[in-house]
Amino acid sequence: MSGLRRALVALGVLAFLLGILSAALVMTSDHASPRGLLLALVLAAGWSFAFTGLYAWDRRPGNSIGPLMTAAGFTWFFQALTASNNAWVFAIGILGQTLPFAILVHLLVSFPSGRLRTRLQIVAVSLAYLATGPLQLVWALFTDPTAQADCDGCPENPVLIGGAEGVAEAVSAVQVLGGCASIAIAIWILYRNWRRSSATERRVLTPVLATGGTAFTILLMQLIVGELGASEAFKQVTFIASVAIFACLPFAFLLGLLRSRIGRADEETSALSAENQQLTAELEAKVAELRASRHRIVEAGYAERRRVERDLHDGAQQRLMALTMTLRLARERLDADPAAAAELLDEAMEELGAATAELREFARGIHPVVLSDRGLAAALGGLAERSPVPVEIAAAPDERLPTPVESAAYFVVAESLTNVARYAGAELATVRVERRDGTLEVEVSDNGAGGADPDAGTGLRGLADRVAALDGSLSVRSEAGKGTTVEALIPCG
Amino acid sequence: MAKSVLIVDDHPGFRASARRMLEASGYAVVGEAADGEAAIAAAGALGPDLVLLDVQLPDLDGFAVAARLQGLEGAPAVVLTSSRDRADFGDAVAESPARGFIAKAELSGRALAELVG
Repeated sequence: MSGLRRALVALGVLAFLLGILSAALVMTSDHASPRGLLLALVLAAGWSFAFTGLYAWDRRPGNSIGPLMTAAGFTWFFQALTASNNAWVFAIGILGQTLPFAILVHLLVSFPSGRLRTRLQIVAVSLAYLATGPLQLVWALFTDPTAQADCDGCPENPVLIGGAEGVAEAVSAVQVLGGCASIAIAIWILYRNWRRSSATERRVLTPVLATGGTAFTILLMQLIVGELGASEAFKQVTFIASVAIFACLPFAFLLGLLRSRIGRADEETSALSAENQQLTAELEAKVAELRASRHRIVEAGYAERRRVERDLHDGAQQRLMALTMTLRLARERLDADPAAAAELLDEAMEELGAATAELREFARGIHPVVLSDRGLAAALGGLAERSPVPVEIAAAPDERLPTPVESAAYFVVAESLTNVARYAGAELATVRVERRDGTLEVEVSDNGAGGADPDAGTGLRGLADRVAALDGSLSVRSEAGKGTTVEALIPCG
Repeated sequence: MAKSVLIVDDHPGFRASARRMLEASGYAVVGEAADGEAAIAAAGALGPDLVLLDVQLPDLDGFAVAARLQGLEGAPAVVLTSSRDRADFGDAVAESPARGFIAKAELSGRALAELVG
């Protein structure tokens, strides 16, 4: 049994015992009248509210209708305390006897969600609690029950503040006004809710509204007519009617609540829909990121081809053009001035050497042949050798890895070392490439100035996309004064 | 009298080779320019008979430069050149006011003389 259910069972037992105690109090009362009706009211309303409330609480733990019904049930027993011959118990009964009506207002206007949402709902409930709580206390302090017409044999008020009979009357009038206003607003809210609701919602609302509306009407009549002074017969009839209606009311609540999908579904759906919205948002962000990265990869492909074309055009091709012209000139001079022609040919050979070196460097930029022939460790050694900043290879895998992984790792190191040489002002760069738990960890760190902006420059961005395409990740840490570390994690099976 | 020539190309290596080739062929190279704006300014200042004009320049392209040179007083004859083929530029060469186009690989004093006389 869960903790909640244990507590609910304990409350049920308590309600039962309070009912028995109430019966004893009423039946032994010197002044309660009519005893039978009073007891019927207390037991019918108290038990039915308490037990149905506890049941509702158990079925819909997240909804406050159950706890409110239970509270209404327990507060009904205050009525029984007014039957007590003991002055103090009698006083406590007087103090609490109007509370169930306020809870009833609270229940009806917040049904079926149990929540107060609008300002009007809050006003209705506040007025009800004000009239039955603080004002009832003030009224009780200034009221002498022995002096009241319908309270023959009532005990004396132990906390009576005497000599101010007018106060009790005034407070009572304010209570009646507040109560009437509260009930009127509540009836208006109920009517409005009912009118606005759909057919399905009306199935839930109708039993509660019909019973609640009738109860309120009787209550209103009792309040008004009671103030005006009513016949005994009228009081008897309204009393019996209220016993019947208040005993029915909790079953109407329970029926409505259990019919209601809102009570439970409200919270579950809203949690579910919040989760759903969050998942959708995450998914959309992922798709957007994927689309952006795919776009960048395609764009990088075009950019790379443009770069290749431009490099070839500006570099080797220009050298070869110049070489052609030099050779043509040498050919023209050959007969007339062989010495000048020989000089031109020397120049041409030098130019050819430069063009060849440039083409070799260029080809390595597209794909380093040492990488495919001899693997990552050898290729990293080559990078370290050509770097203008001294490079220490702390670790490099001897085994061969899938070509895309080797290639991505190589270019991460190559680009990072290029950046170290260009921007870092470092004395040493350290390269560590290790395979660990199916992931190739590539790290290039330097002891330079740091403070690099990882988003600046397209080189690293392109590499991040390349690594991401292999389900890997690339990060850059670059605090000013602490050097820069580029780390790529690439899954390699 | 030797024809005066302005060489416009952003590669200094090419300009040096072209100057040597043109001078060997009897032209007087009066100036060099590395981009389009400099070429227009130099042409205005030097009044060359001929402008050897590379198509791909860092700022304006050779066709735009040729069109603007056409507007100068005593407009020079323009010969376009490029390391690319004439076909790479579509009909842009035919549309331009230039006398003609010589691929850099075919550039020689004779080829130039055939175009500008």
